[in-house]
Amino acid sequence: MKLSHMSHWKTVPYKQIDNFRDFYYEDKSNIAYYQDWDRILRYHKATGYEGIELAPWDLREILGLFGTPQEFTAFAGEHGIEVSGMFHASDDSQIPEKHDEVLRAAKDAIDILEKFGGKHLNMCPARNYCVHGPLSEEDLAVSARVIDEIGAYALDHGIQVGLHNEFFCAVNKENHRRFLEMTDPGKVFYCLDTAQIALMGDDLLDFYDTYAERICTFHLKDTASLAVPDAVRYGMDPEIRDDGWRWFWEPGEGVLPLEELWKLVKKHNFQGWVTIEDDGAPDYLAAMALSSYYFHEVLERV
Amino acid sequence: MKTSFSTEVVDLDRQVPNRNKRESRYFWDELYSLISAGGFGRIAIPYEPKWDFGGRSGIPRSMRSIQMKFGGPRGYLAFLKEQGITAVDCIHLDSALFCAGAPEMYLGALDHFAQEALAFAVGLSCPVLTLTVTPPVFAVKGLLAGQEGLKEADFLRKLADVIRDLAERAGEAGIVLCVKNPYWGLFRGEAVLELLEKLPAVKLDLDTAHLQIAGADPAKLVKQAAGRIGVVHFTDTAFMDEQEAYLTPLPEFPARRATKVFRDIGDGTVDFVAVLKALQEAGYQGGIVFNCRNSYDSCRSILRTRSYINRTLIPAGYTEQAVSMYAARRKGESENEIIPHESLEDGSL
Repeated sequence: MKLSHMSHWKTVPYKQIDNFRDFYYEDKSNIAYYQDWDRILRYHKATGYEGIELAPWDLREILGLFGTPQEFTAFAGEHGIEVSGMFHASDDSQIPEKHDEVLRAAKDAIDILEKFGGKHLNMCPARNYCVHGPLSEEDLAVSARVIDEIGAYALDHGIQVGLHNEFFCAVNKENHRRFLEMTDPGKVFYCLDTAQIALMGDDLLDFYDTYAERICTFHLKDTASLAVPDAVRYGMDPEIRDDGWRWFWEPGEGVLPLEELWKLVKKHNFQGWVTIEDDGAPDYLAAMALSSYYFHEVLERV
Repeated sequence: MKTSFSTEVVDLDRQVPNRNKRESRYFWDELYSLISAGGFGRIAIPYEPKWDFGGRSGIPRSMRSIQMKFGGPRGYLAFLKEQGITAVDCIHLDSALFCAGAPEMYLGALDHFAQEALAFAVGLSCPVLTLTVTPPVFAVKGLLAGQEGLKEADFLRKLADVIRDLAERAGEAGIVLCVKNPYWGLFRGEAVLELLEKLPAVKLDLDTAHLQIAGADPAKLVKQAAGRIGVVHFTDTAFMDEQEAYLTPLPEFPARRATKVFRDIGDGTVDFVAVLKALQEAGYQGGIVFNCRNSYDSCRSILRTRSYINRTLIPAGYTEQAVSMYAARRKGESENEIIPHESLEDGSL
């Protein structure tokens, strides 16, 4: 297994800061430490990661700083870091009239991910439950058809599409297993986000044990909020809470049975990328370090 | 002068420790009371609908957010008042937010979101809507790349048409439409004066730091644009763009030598006293928005600005209206009433 980190660093505005000491003295705070890719990639390597998963909302700035995906990948490679994959929202995949648009957007994402050298396109189907849910059997079938096409295109480019559920999306507790089964197991895989499954109210251990053959990669994170009520998950904008409540915690800081999960991971002999996702953490460097420690010192010893 | 403080002090775009707080409503709810405690009773708001797409409705920078969290502009204004903020003086829409795709797509998005921002301003009884006149030079080149036959001049002509129509709609709503000219845009520095000649219904948002970085003298520009200034942003900087960062993809982040381009008020080299005197001589009666754009520390920025106003601008003749609602309460006056700064009333100035 190889450990990756999903980039939630928001815009990193510099490629490399050469006048680091002078820049630090402008404010004499730790902010200078979070402003360039050079240092952020060094943090990845220093804290035990081998990969980075890109966020599509960062691409404009990344390409502005590096010019091409290949330049970014080469720069990351100099730091000992590979691009493991990228997230993609397959919005409106359940709407027949949007088929071509959905397919084109996904193909664009696959094309650019291929240039970055990534292997996993982790993809959320449909949109939020609020407004777009509940989905009918026909809605699910429409979505499954276009995602099968996307999956086939991805495989032709050396990339695996992994379905990725969000606890507030239209593909949710009542239909996400059904939806996974509606897609072609030879073309479409699954990115198991350990916290999202638990937040939805599914049984993490049973889900993994049942669908282990479909799991191509993990988004590994913890939560202290099991089976969030429908009223919350299906409400408007539930991801960011008004009061600052966090849905996600670093592995080991929540209540998920991650060591039990890892016994199953070993049983099924999973090989591949495991990506730490620490969205919502107040300090990504600390979160990266905590998560890496847990992965290497707790899970790998299972 | 009407003094307001811009909530653009909060940087949502760059990664810094504890940034996560800034996406939740509680952070903003408290921010207003902190701005008020810093002696500012009025605010300016950057209009950023991009947060709608990610479901970040706790960030009060769009109509959707205000509707979701406060039931609409009326509820938002009532909430602001409870926190000591009595008015919203300026809404700013940065057109670079949706600069992607083909030029026609960009112009369509600009028109759509500018109308949304105008409705936002109307709802908040805000007298000024200001529009960043063009995206960065680099982004415009990207828009025009591969567009056979569409020259920059054609694009700017179409852009002017969109702005002209918007100004007309704003005028009908009793709102002044202004254009801001960042140092990274196509009308940087004094070049904005040529644009204003073609858009008689539009006024200038005079932004001191942007002008200075572009090589213009803000005080001189006040004289050149006298009568055409709709709002003033007091922004500070110590940056000299010797590396031509304005041509790069991320012009606010000079690649060859990293620096914080926009500083807290008083921490840079802008001669605000000279600008103030020029405004007074020009008979300017509009608002001054103090903007510590994308601050590293919002609370320090609020207090540094207040300190600079008290220690430097007021002795130089700066007069404020409605310093804070609490000052009005202490005096037993109506909370809605605009009152002069205490230091003016006691004759100490």
